[in-house]
Formats: sequence, C-alpha cells, structure tokens
Amino acid sequence: MSAHKKLPIFSSYDKNSTFYDEIFSEKQEVRNIYKTLFNLFSEYKIDDFQQLNEKAKTSFLNQGITFQVYNEKDVQEQVFPFDLFPRIISAKEWSHIETGALQRSKALNLFLTDLYSKKQIIKDGIVPLDMISSSENYLKEMNGLEVPGGIYNHISGTDLIKHSDGEYYVLEDNIRCPSGVSYVISNRDALKRNLFGAFKHYPAYTVDNYAENLLGIMESVKPTGVDNPTCVVITPGIYNSAYYEHSYLAKAMGIELVEGRDLFVENDFVYMKTIYGPKKVDVIYRRIDDEFIDPLQFNPKSVLGVPGLFQAYKKGNVCLVNAPGTGVADDKAIYTFMPKIIKYYLDEDPILNNVHTYHCSDPKEMDYVVNNIDKLVIKPVDESGGYGISIGSKLTKKEIEAVKKVIQAHPRKYIAQPIMSLSTHATYIDETEDFEPRHVDLRTFTLLGQDKEFVLKGGLTRVALKRGNLIVNSSQGGGSKDTWVLKK
Amino acid sequence: MLARVANNLFWMGRYLERTEHIARFINVNYFSSLDAPNEVSQSRQFVLKSILYMVNDTVIDSDDELNEQEVLFDVALNPENEFSILNCFKYARENASSARDLLSMELFRSINELYYYIKNYDVDLFVSKGLDEFTSKITKEVARLRGKIIETLIHDETYAIITLGINLEKATQVIRIINTKYIDAKSSQSEIYDSFNNSYEWTTLLKCIQSFDMMKRFYKKAPVITDTLEFLVLNPSCPRSILSSLDNTEKNIKILSRSKEKDSSLFLISKTRSEYKYMSIDEIEGSFSCFIEDTINKITAISISIEKEFLS
Repeated sequence: MSAHKKLPIFSSYDKNSTFYDEIFSEKQEVRNIYKTLFNLFSEYKIDDFQQLNEKAKTSFLNQGITFQVYNEKDVQEQVFPFDLFPRIISAKEWSHIETGALQRSKALNLFLTDLYSKKQIIKDGIVPLDMISSSENYLKEMNGLEVPGGIYNHISGTDLIKHSDGEYYVLEDNIRCPSGVSYVISNRDALKRNLFGAFKHYPAYTVDNYAENLLGIMESVKPTGVDNPTCVVITPGIYNSAYYEHSYLAKAMGIELVEGRDLFVENDFVYMKTIYGPKKVDVIYRRIDDEFIDPLQFNPKSVLGVPGLFQAYKKGNVCLVNAPGTGVADDKAIYTFMPKIIKYYLDEDPILNNVHTYHCSDPKEMDYVVNNIDKLVIKPVDESGGYGISIGSKLTKKEIEAVKKVIQAHPRKYIAQPIMSLSTHATYIDETEDFEPRHVDLRTFTLLGQDKEFVLKGGLTRVALKRGNLIVNSSQGGGSKDTWVLKK
Repeated sequence: MLARVANNLFWMGRYLERTEHIARFINVNYFSSLDAPNEVSQSRQFVLKSILYMVNDTVIDSDDELNEQEVLFDVALNPENEFSILNCFKYARENASSARDLLSMELFRSINELYYYIKNYDVDLFVSKGLDEFTSKITKEVARLRGKIIETLIHDETYAIITLGINLEKATQVIRIINTKYIDAKSSQSEIYDSFNNSYEWTTLLKCIQSFDMMKRFYKKAPVITDTLEFLVLNPSCPRSILSSLDNTEKNIKILSRSKEKDSSLFLISKTRSEYKYMSIDEIEGSFSCFIEDTINKITAISISIEKEFLS
C-alpha cells in the first residue's frame, strides 16, 4: 500500500478556487451545512474510501443500473459514474428552488395552451411570431387540440446552476422527455447503504415517492369516460441508453413497459397485445420523441412508434405524457423570454433567475455576440446533450472566426450567454485517488396533472468529471451525486 | 401481460436451464472420463466428440482429431458460437432485460452477476485449469437463480411462463443427454458379455443429470439401461425426469389457461403427460432409440403450441 493512500481525505483539496465552492467558503473554511458531513468523511482514509467507491460501482453494474455506449464493435454497458460525497440543499434554499420550478412549469403549460390555441401572447407582442413559426418543434398538428386535463408538460426537468454570486440560475427547461430521475433514486439507495451513519445527522426528504406521484399524475389525465385507466410506459427498447430508467419507472409504478410493436390502433383506440388478447390502453408515458411516435403522422420511417397513435390521441381516446409539441417551448431561444412569459400568464415576477441571453437573430445582439465571443457561450437552440456548444474562452482565434461564420450563416439557430461559472463540489477522482473540486449543476423534476402538482424533493446533481470541464451531461463524461434536501 | 414479454420470459427460462445443463454435461463428462473403466470411454477424443454432439448435435468424423483447448473454448466461451455457454447466458440475460420490469430486483441482479462472471472469465485459465471452477460455479449459480425465481416472484403468469420455459428446456436437455450417452454407450460397447446393458456410460448419464445417488437409493443397485431410463423418463418422483417436467408443464399451463379445446396447449400437454404416466419401461425396451427421438419431437410440439397460443 502506498504511503499517500493512508492520508486523510481532503488533504490535497484545492480550496483556493476562483469558482463558488459548495463545501469551502472564500475563507477556506467548511461551510456550516457541510461541517458534520465533512467531519464524518474525515474519519475515512483514502484507502477505505476507495473500497467504498468500488463497492458502490460494482453494485450499480450488478443491478444493471447502466447506460449503453455504442462503439464500432459492440454495445458496451457503462455505469453512470456516481460520487459518494452528497450535495446538501438547505430547507430555505430548496423552498426557493421548488416554488421557482413549479412556477416555471405552470407558466410553460399556459404558454403551450396559448400557442396551440389563441396565440394571444404573440398577438400582444410579448413573444415574436418568428420565434414560433421558425421553430422546428412547433407541431401544427396540435393546433386547436384540447389535451386531456389541459396539461402539456406533465413532467418537467429544470436545469439549474449556482453561479459565483451564490445564486441559482436556470440554464434550461426540459419538457420533452426529461431523463435522469431513476438515478436520483438509485443514488440515494447507494448512499444509504454505504454512508448510513450520515443520515442520522441530516434529516433528508425521501425520493422514493416519485413513481407513485407520477402514476397519480398519469391517472389524473385519463381520457373522458374511463374509470380505471390502464397506464403504460413506452420505450424504444433495451438498446436505448435510458432503458434502465424506463424499466425502473414501469416497475416502480407497477405498470407495463411496452414497445411500439406491442401496441396497435383499431377504430382510433389503442390496444396492447397481451397473452390473453388485446387490452385497451388509456394513458401512455412515452419515452419516444415526437418525431417517432406515429409513422403515419410524423416520420414514416419510424419503427419505434405506433401507426395511428396520433389519430387516437386527437380523438381524445388516449393521453400522451408529455403532450406532443412541447419542444416548441423549451428550446433555448424561447428560454430567453421566460421572465416575460411568467409575468404574462401568472402576473408574478420570476422566482428563479434566467441567464441573460443574446439572440443572434436580432441584428444588434448579433453584433455584440460576434465582437465578444471570447466572453460568451454559444449554443445551438435545438440541440440537447451538450452538443454543438462553443465556450468562447476556450477557443483559439481561428476557431472564433469559424464560429462567427457559422452563426452569421444561421442566426436563428444560435443564442449566446455570458459564461456562467458553475459552482464546484468535492468529488472523488479515481485517477488521483483523492477529492477534487468539480463543476456541478442540478436537475429538478416537476410533475403537473389535473389539479395535482408535485416537485421531487431532491434532484440530479450532475458532475463534470473532467477537470475544468463545464459540461455535465452523461454522454460527455459526466457523473452524478446524491442530493439531499433537508427538512429543516 | 404483454405477449412479447411473455416470450422473453419463456426464453429466459429456457436459456437459463440450457446454460446449466451444458455446463454440467461438460463437467461430468470430462472428469468422469479421466478414470473410466474402458479405453474408449477414457479417450479424450471420445469425450470431446460427445460434448460437441450434446451441445450442438455436431457429429465429428471418427478419424478427425480434435484439439481439446479449442473444443472447450468453443462450447464455453467462444463469443462467435451461438451455442456456447457464454451466448446461452447472454440470451438469457437479454430476455430478462426485456422483461425486467416484471422480475424481482434480486433475480435480475443475480442474473447480471453471473453474466459478468461468465463474460469476464479468463479464456486461458478456462482451457488450462479453470474447467471445474467455471462449470461448477455456473451449475451452482443457476440453481440459486431457480431459487430466486421461486422465492421472489409472485406466483402468477410471470412465474408460470418462466417455469414453462424451464421445464420444457429441462425435458429437452435431459432427453438430449440421454440420447448422447445412449450413442456413447453403443459406440463404447465391447465384446464382453452384456457390456451395453451395464455400461459405465449410464453412471455418467445419471451424474450428468445429477441423479446418480438418488437412483442408487431408489433401485439399490448399480445402474443398467432399463432402470436408468425408467428413472430418468418415467419416474414421477425424480425431479429431473421427463414425466416430472411434463407434470410441471401441465400444472403451470393451467395458470395461463383452462381451455381444453383440442387445439389448445393444455390439451396437448395433458395428452402427452398421460401417455408417459401410463407407460411402462417394458413397452419401450428394444426400441430405445426410436423412443428417444419420439420424445424429442413431442416436447418440441408442446413448445411450439405454447408459443403459438400465448407468446405471439
């Protein structure tokens, strides 16, 4: 055993970071909320910790809590890297996040209702028509349709960061098929097993109640005339990167996990093929993108969806969760209007901060952007998973010129934001066998149903495992942490 | 339950069972041949050919020389071989994965653990000295998986379908093993009086099906062909006998359907089961090889009928 492994943990932690560190204050002292936890961790030697870490990793692999990575030869299953040092959110801080996330979800729902009916917000000149008409995610097929229960975004994932000023900012809203909630639950489970002592000192809310609330939300938007709705989760199949999550949710709700080929539509009703013959399906939590849900209506090449599904939906015979066409409201260009959207529909000031955004489609703002790329993050408006993002401060002069050309060619496709400094959190790094500060964000999960709402008291803290990296997505080498929301 | 998922569960059961039988067959045959009483049974080539035949019906010309390490690799860990233990278990796991929302966490986790054990087993170690460790572990772990199936699943349709898969595969593998050893006994018989009837291969056969000691307890004498076949095919108390598998199949199909229409699976299973229940070994003595082939066909017909009625 090498000598350095016997060192206490945190012995080489860089406390002098220029970022907001969630564990250490500017005075390099442990922040109050982390003191007890820090002392508990300090009892560990790096070696013991390494062992715990390995144990947790093997347990994830054996439980099949994995995602798929494709390479040339075959499909590899990988464990979503998990860090044993939890993130703690105080009751006060959480109350701010929770009310803010709920406010955004409700405003987005009203916005979608309006966009697919009267379009009053456009007539009133709050959101320019161009933002909608040029959006690839606006589904004209949804126009004038009354959705069951009046809900579009039943499930919203709100991505937040803590900036260097110690304030939370929303980076984006995800209201298509936001994923990650199963990791919130499995992370908690892993932490309970490995660091059970810590829970005595921290009264954290459970996260186990997500599935029961999701089922409650699904049942609340059942089609008219149905007493006991049959709800299902539809997945693209076992090779989808989020298959674990799909199977977890179906299992936790006790409902069937179906694939497109298990369903068929007859006389505009949806049925699943069971061992006893067809059974009618009433509510579908779909983890398939709009484009692929129905080859007759959208992408004709889709083999993941169900022919005729959209027609059944239009007739009100089945409810889709989330509704098709929500993507128009969560793209990065609409994001910038969120403060105005909240004010317009709810007559409230936004509770959570928005990051200031420059629209490249506006000539004045474009002018600012092209002259200040080094201080900005350039994002395509319709990509997810962290793809297509350019961080200005990391680009060479030549690269800056190239980015300029791209955005000038497609102004509507790009927005720019000041480089936000994501806070850092103590994260165990395998290569150095020690804790190091790493950037984190937070995804919260909000559910909306007919006369029902729920925000999961917890969330997915995603960690950028590469030193200095600001992109936390799992597809780009990110990991995650358990997130404790304290009761008091 | 979805028909597709039922199909996954059925094949999960079949592949789990198949994996274990192959592992056990390789282990017992390889090791019991080492000190077999006659030269033919002791020959490496004889054993390797027997293993290949059982695993994949591969018939090797008697003059062809097989490479031991290649054969062992092929039947156990060759990822290119459809019938290797590695692939059998991979299919079991893929089917489990497609139905994982219906399986208990404990069961899925144990399947995963065994999968990683098989997948990561060192090939060089296996072909040089890991044969016993590897195959014994699989035999032991699949038995544990059966335990998890019984102990942690609700005994409803899910359980019934997995159990159907397991029992039909068990019957298939048992009859295949009987067939293989029957052929081995034929080809290793010598001029000595009644060597076929008293062949050492019956002992190996019983051991391959983990029924040797119980058979001796039942008959209180060394195995001869009639007693062995009677025990392994017609004895309702021997848990691995064909009749026992048919009993279980009938019991579980009734959880899915009570239809006794002439084209139903239940009708076919009950009919086949009755035939074996009221059969005596004297009736088939002298025509063992036809009987074995007939049994294989009957089990296949049952499987096809179940797939048609419930799984598509």
